[in-house]
Amino acid sequence: MTSYSKEVIADLVAGTLPWPQTRRVMSAYKDDDRFFKYVAVLQDRVGWSDPILLPVGDHLFICQSGDERVTRCECGHSFGDYRKNWKLKASIIVRDSEEALREIYPNSDLPDPEWMEIREFICPQCGTLHEVEAAAPGYPIVHDFEPDLEGFYRDWLGKPLEPLEPMDKES
Amino acid sequence: MLDKPASALRLRERLIESERLMDETGCYDGITDLELRNQDPLKFETLHTKLRAYCVSAREMARRISASPGVREVGEMVVAIYTPEGDAIALSNGIMVHVHTMSRFIKWMIRQGYEENPRIVDGDIFANNDAFIGTVQVPDVMDVVPIFHTGKLVGWAGAVCHELEAGGITPGGDVALAQERFTEGLFVCAEKVGQNDELRRDYVIRCERNLRMPIYWVLDEKAKVASCIDMRESVKALIDEIGLDYWMKVSKEFIEEGRRAQLARTRQLTVPGIYRGHTFYGHVTKGKPGYQPLGDPDWLYNIPIEMEITTGGKIIMDFEGTQPWGYHSMNCTPAGMDGGMFVTLTQHMNFEGLVNDGAWMATELKLPHGTWTNPDNEMVATATSWALLLPAYGVFQRLLSRSFIARGFVEEAFVGQVNSPMIEMGGTSQYGTLFGMAHFECAAAGSGALAIKDGLDTAYVGWNPESDMGNIEIWEQNMPMVYIGRSIVANSGGAGKYRGGCAFLSTWLVSKTDHLRLVTSEHSSRVFDNGGLCGGYPAPTCQKHRAVRDSNIFELAQKGAPLAHHTGTNPYRSELEVRLEGQHVTMEGPYITAPHKTGDVFTHSYNGGGGYGDVLERDPLKTASDVENGYLTREAAENVFGIVLDEDEDGYPVANLEATKRHRAEMRSRRLARARPVSEWMAKERERVKAVDFAPEVKKMYASAIKLSPRFTRDFSTFWDVDAKSTFGVE
Repeated sequence: MTSYSKEVIADLVAGTLPWPQTRRVMSAYKDDDRFFKYVAVLQDRVGWSDPILLPVGDHLFICQSGDERVTRCECGHSFGDYRKNWKLKASIIVRDSEEALREIYPNSDLPDPEWMEIREFICPQCGTLHEVEAAAPGYPIVHDFEPDLEGFYRDWLGKPLEPLEPMDKES
Repeated sequence: MLDKPASALRLRERLIESERLMDETGCYDGITDLELRNQDPLKFETLHTKLRAYCVSAREMARRISASPGVREVGEMVVAIYTPEGDAIALSNGIMVHVHTMSRFIKWMIRQGYEENPRIVDGDIFANNDAFIGTVQVPDVMDVVPIFHTGKLVGWAGAVCHELEAGGITPGGDVALAQERFTEGLFVCAEKVGQNDELRRDYVIRCERNLRMPIYWVLDEKAKVASCIDMRESVKALIDEIGLDYWMKVSKEFIEEGRRAQLARTRQLTVPGIYRGHTFYGHVTKGKPGYQPLGDPDWLYNIPIEMEITTGGKIIMDFEGTQPWGYHSMNCTPAGMDGGMFVTLTQHMNFEGLVNDGAWMATELKLPHGTWTNPDNEMVATATSWALLLPAYGVFQRLLSRSFIARGFVEEAFVGQVNSPMIEMGGTSQYGTLFGMAHFECAAAGSGALAIKDGLDTAYVGWNPESDMGNIEIWEQNMPMVYIGRSIVANSGGAGKYRGGCAFLSTWLVSKTDHLRLVTSEHSSRVFDNGGLCGGYPAPTCQKHRAVRDSNIFELAQKGAPLAHHTGTNPYRSELEVRLEGQHVTMEGPYITAPHKTGDVFTHSYNGGGGYGDVLERDPLKTASDVENGYLTREAAENVFGIVLDEDEDGYPVANLEATKRHRAEMRSRRLARARPVSEWMAKERERVKAVDFAPEVKKMYASAIKLSPRFTRDFSTFWDVDAKSTFGVE
């Protein structure tokens, strides 16, 4: 079975693994022990101790926080229950004018702001840009990912999680 | 399991039985045990490797027969070997999108009773380019031949070439102006076009009399037939070696093994759950010459996708909420959608082991009836189905990438494919003859970023993983235009920690003709049709064409004065306007206008890919190199990426790390100050939704999605707390 050291995985995740080695990792059979090494690398990176259960973005993680499982920014800011769309608890910049779009696209043909806007979802604490949506005005904000966290841990990783209380729909 | 070699069942009964067995057992053809693989895995693997070698070798041979630069240069061809029922066992590299579409073509003939009429006998050649039977669009012409051994049908060999000219209402193959089937060109609807290994003369005559440049189509036919015969004879020799019984059994086991491998790979690389994403596509055709009254003037399509990965490893993609088919050429058939799924899977997950139709069987597409993904009218045009197909499967790649990131396989995350705008042309060639052709340098657009590095610059398209733009000299031989520039478009990759791959732009001088019609297609207007991931921005979509009619370029050249070789980076005044005199034309959307002639200048640009990650985390050193090499402008480096560049003693850009740190801290503070809570924005936006304060195309998009999709209606209503139907006046 292919396996890499935690240091190699850390360099790969950071984008600092030399290209020839990265190329070999891409071409080789996949390492079955990747997930927990990956999570360990990310856990070393964050400044908080709640265990990461699943990365869902470059700086966004589902973690176990006491009895809750929340979506958390790398800086520690919590976006609430992981089963809800974290974007609804984020801050937003909407680029819906030529002037605002031109800031990102200095020399390109721009979308028509009447047809499309850019929505930037930002951590209100550290200012990290977690996700960008390009959507028609009025388009509902998409809930990108609803992982089957319990099915994943139970059926694929063989390490079942404690069941959670049903989600409070109103909060 | 059926005793296939000795079976007296007709093909049609055998196909139905095979599908029944799959339904009952969940395994392909009812194969619950991989007996032959377990008995001798080395023999099993070696045989499949041989089959793949037959395919690759046959394709390479055929490319040298083809006259088309599309096939010879760019590799717009694929070949495959099938079971008697039409399931792909092994395939070559190339345009793998067509492997499963050929499967549909074979099955269609079987279901239509071709065994009885027109009969299927040794030496027959069948051809098809009807997307409702099994292909993507008219220029994708496929040929299949049956493989007989000791009098029994034991498989099929098939080949597809993308033709550069299809005889449609406009020259080229992707006929942008087609609004119904009847304007798309020469249809070959699952026809027997040859016997005794020879193309019928009457079929060749039909091609010669209905195409602008039949040399491409006819020589490609010969190339395809040659490759099919080559594969057929190789398979027959293999059967002589291993025995017919073994062949019939092992060929099925290959597919079941492929199905199981795909499920296992999904379980290995991803995380189960529901993934969502969307993209949009805009088209501006109002007032353009040639559009028929049925066509909408301008329109906007939304393409939402919900992907489920089950704990069993199955991938289910659901297109509910997307738009209805229309009187334009961008509709797609289920065969085309299957093809998009297959080519994406083979590039992103199913890249090792026994690649075949088994991968497709481990997935499911939900294509709502009546939408562009599954029109409920077989008379609609599908000539430029890639326009919607590519952005849709770009979303699929981004959804898969999110799953790779969650699982830790960051090196596989890929922000995805983008559209590949196309230029086609016709009229009088530089040789004074009638001509028509598509230009395939679009096979080298910019790719989306990866989660560990920048995207590929001018080196990727979704539909052909080989992505070769072809040599300039070859294209110049085939069209009455000469290159005066082919250059990287600065800032054309989506911004991000890792930027998307950059696109390029070609600038041509029309030469030695007084009649050149240029038609472009498959580029989105007024909206981005791609996206970024994890904070990366979408890449800009090229929307405009620039031309100079009656330019003074020959006078300038004679004087040795500077010429325009590209459009430059000033969005308000192009280099063409700066350097050339003449009648300047800037056209939004598809370029369809009066013919050009010698001395005119024309530009066409391609798309870049979306970015990955927060733009303020980009490596300043890489950025200095990008600026030096023209991938980014200095202005973008500072204002978009927050990177301050100084100059070294030779005038080259170098990153000022300290100043960059300070500048980025300021930018982050400004970002936070400018941002507001989503809840606040939603409260205001809800008032706009209630007032339906949208452009007409946006209103129309919502109304049609609400009319077709209960789920979209429910989600929209819930999100905005409105009654979507009454808001948009939908009955």
